Amino acid sequence: MSRDFYEFFCPVKVIAGERALEHIPFELGLLGAARPMILTDKGVIAAGLLAHVQKALASSGVAIGAVFDEVPQDSSLATVRAAAARYREAGCDAILAVGGGSVIDTSKGVNILVSDAGDVAEGGGDLLRYAGAHHLKKPLRPLFVVPTTAGTGSEVTLVAIISDETRGVKVPFTSTFLMPNAAVLDPRMTQTLPAHLTAMTAMDAMTHAMEAYTCLAANPLSDAYATSAIQKISNHLLPVLDDLKSPLGRLELAQASTMAGIAFSNSMVGLVHALGHTLGSMTHLPHGVCMNLFLPYVLEYNLPVASDRIGELLLPLAGPDIYASTPKGRRGTETITQLRRLRDTLNARCKLPRTIQETGKLDRSALRTLAERALDDGPVAFNPREADLSDMIGIVERAWG
Amino acid sequence: MTLLSRFRDLEPAAQHAYVSLMMAVIGRGLVAASQTDDETRRELAAFTPGMVIAMKVIPSGPSFALVLQPDGTLKLLPSFDGRATLAVVFKHLAHAFLVFSFQESTTRAFANDRLYIDGDISHSIRLVRCLNRMEALILPQAIAAKAVKRYPAIAASDKVRAGARIYGRLALNFVNGDRP
Ligand SMILES: [Fe+2]
Repeated sequence: MSRDFYEFFCPVKVIAGERALEHIPFELGLLGAARPMILTDKGVIAAGLLAHVQKALASSGVAIGAVFDEVPQDSSLATVRAAAARYREAGCDAILAVGGGSVIDTSKGVNILVSDAGDVAEGGGDLLRYAGAHHLKKPLRPLFVVPTTAGTGSEVTLVAIISDETRGVKVPFTSTFLMPNAAVLDPRMTQTLPAHLTAMTAMDAMTHAMEAYTCLAANPLSDAYATSAIQKISNHLLPVLDDLKSPLGRLELAQASTMAGIAFSNSMVGLVHALGHTLGSMTHLPHGVCMNLFLPYVLEYNLPVASDRIGELLLPLAGPDIYASTPKGRRGTETITQLRRLRDTLNARCKLPRTIQETGKLDRSALRTLAERALDDGPVAFNPREADLSDMIGIVERAWG
Repeated sequence: MTLLSRFRDLEPAAQHAYVSLMMAVIGRGLVAASQTDDETRRELAAFTPGMVIAMKVIPSGPSFALVLQPDGTLKLLPSFDGRATLAVVFKHLAHAFLVFSFQESTTRAFANDRLYIDGDISHSIRLVRCLNRMEALILPQAIAAKAVKRYPAIAASDKVRAGARIYGRLALNFVNGDRP
C-alpha cells in the first residue's frame, strides 16, 4: 500500500524457537542484569510452565530474585504496586513476564514503578502520573516477555492497559519505553494450551493482522507482517488442533501472533476491536471469542470502501490456487467466505461461537447498548469506513446470527 | 502560482499566524457548539465537569484549552499551562497547518502520526466527533467534507440554523474580548 507518510517502530528482540528459554541468561547478561523477578499468574504455575523457565535459568549465573504469581485476569493498579514492592524488597534488576495479556500489561506497569521514572525521590511512585501518551522520558529496566498464549501480541506493543479498580476505569499507558527488550517464543510454553484457547487466541491474532491490513494507518512494513501472520495462522491452526504438542506448529502460531502484534502496534486496529472490547466488558466473554464473532461482519461492512485490500488477504488466507482462480472483483467477498468457513470448522471442532446468539451471554435487547458503547471505543477512529449508530446497530444485528 | 498553492506553502511565520487563528476559531467554535448544539452537548455529557481539553503544537506553539463547566458547556482557559485531561498534540507546526488548512483530516493526521492524543481513548473519540461536528457546522460543505472522514447527515436548514447560531456566538465571544 502506498502512503504519503508513515512511521514504523519495533525495537523488540525476537528470540524464537527450540530452547529459546535457554537464551534468556545470556540476553539478560548483555543488559547487565542477573536477578530477574518473574511475574506470572496461578494458571501458568498450575500448567507447570514455570518449571521450564526455572530449569533454563538454573546454573546459568542468573538467580531468580522473586516470583510474583498473583496477577489477576484483569491487571490492576493494586497488583502493579504490590509486584513493584516485591521487586524492590528482593533487590531485582530485571523483569521476566511469563503469561498472557494481563501478565504482560502488568509487567509494563511494574517496570514504570521500579525504574527511575517511578522513583519516589523524583516525585514518581504514582503510576497515574505516567498514564496517557508519551510521559516517560527515559528507558526502563530490562523487561523480557515469554508469552504463554499466541494471541495478544502485547510482547511487541508500546501500550499497557491497567484497570483502576477504585474508579472502575481502564487506564492506558503509551510509551515506546514500555516495549519489552525481548520477546522469547518457545514452543514449550504454548504446548499445553487446550484446543479452544488455542483457537480463540489464534483468531485474536488473525483479527490483529486483518485489521492492521485494512485500517487507515496500514503501511508497507505493517502489511508485510500482517500478511505473513495470516498465512501462518491459516496454514498451522487446524494442524495444531490435531496435534496440540507439535513444536513446529506451536512455534508458527507464536510467531504469527508476534508478527500480527508488530503489525497492529504500528497500524492500529478498527471496528472489530471496538465491538469486541465492548462486548467483552458487557459479558466477560474472552477477547479472542469476541474477535471471532465480529471479524467477518466488520469486513463485510468495510467491503464497499476496502474491497481491494480485503481481496488481497485472500492470498495469505486461502493460498495461491483459490486466489488465482477468483476474479479480482470477487476476492473481497471470497476472503470473507473463506473466513466464515474457518470459523465453521473451529465451531465444529472446539465449540468456538460464531454469533452473539451462540454465546448465550447477551440478551438480544442489549444489542443497541452494545452498538452505542462501541462507538466510543478508541479503534473506531482507524476503521476505514466511518460508522454511526445506525451502522453499528446494523453490524451487531448481523453478528447476532 | 495560484492563490491555493501559495497558501499550501506558507512560510513558517505565516503558518504560525494561520494556525493560531484557527486554534482560536476552533476553541471558540467548540465553546459555541457546547452552548447551542444538542449533538455536541450529548457528547460532552459523558465527560466529567472540571476536565480540561487542550489542543497544542509542541514545544510551545499555538494552543487552546477548554474546561468543562458543571452546566455542560465549555469555557476557554486563557493561559492554561498545566496538564490537560485530554490533549490533542501536534508534533510540528507544519502538521497542524496541514490539518487546519484542510489538506489532511484529523483522522488521517492521527493515522499518519502527525499528532498524538494524550488521555482516555474513549474521550478522544468523543472529542474528534465534536470537532467533526463543529467543522461541519461552521465550514462550507466543500471544505468540511475534506476535513472529516464522512460528512455527517445534517439537514440543510438544521446546518444553517446551528451554523448561524455558532457564528453568532463566535462573533459575540470575539466582541467580548474572550481571547485565548
Ligand atoms: Fe485483540
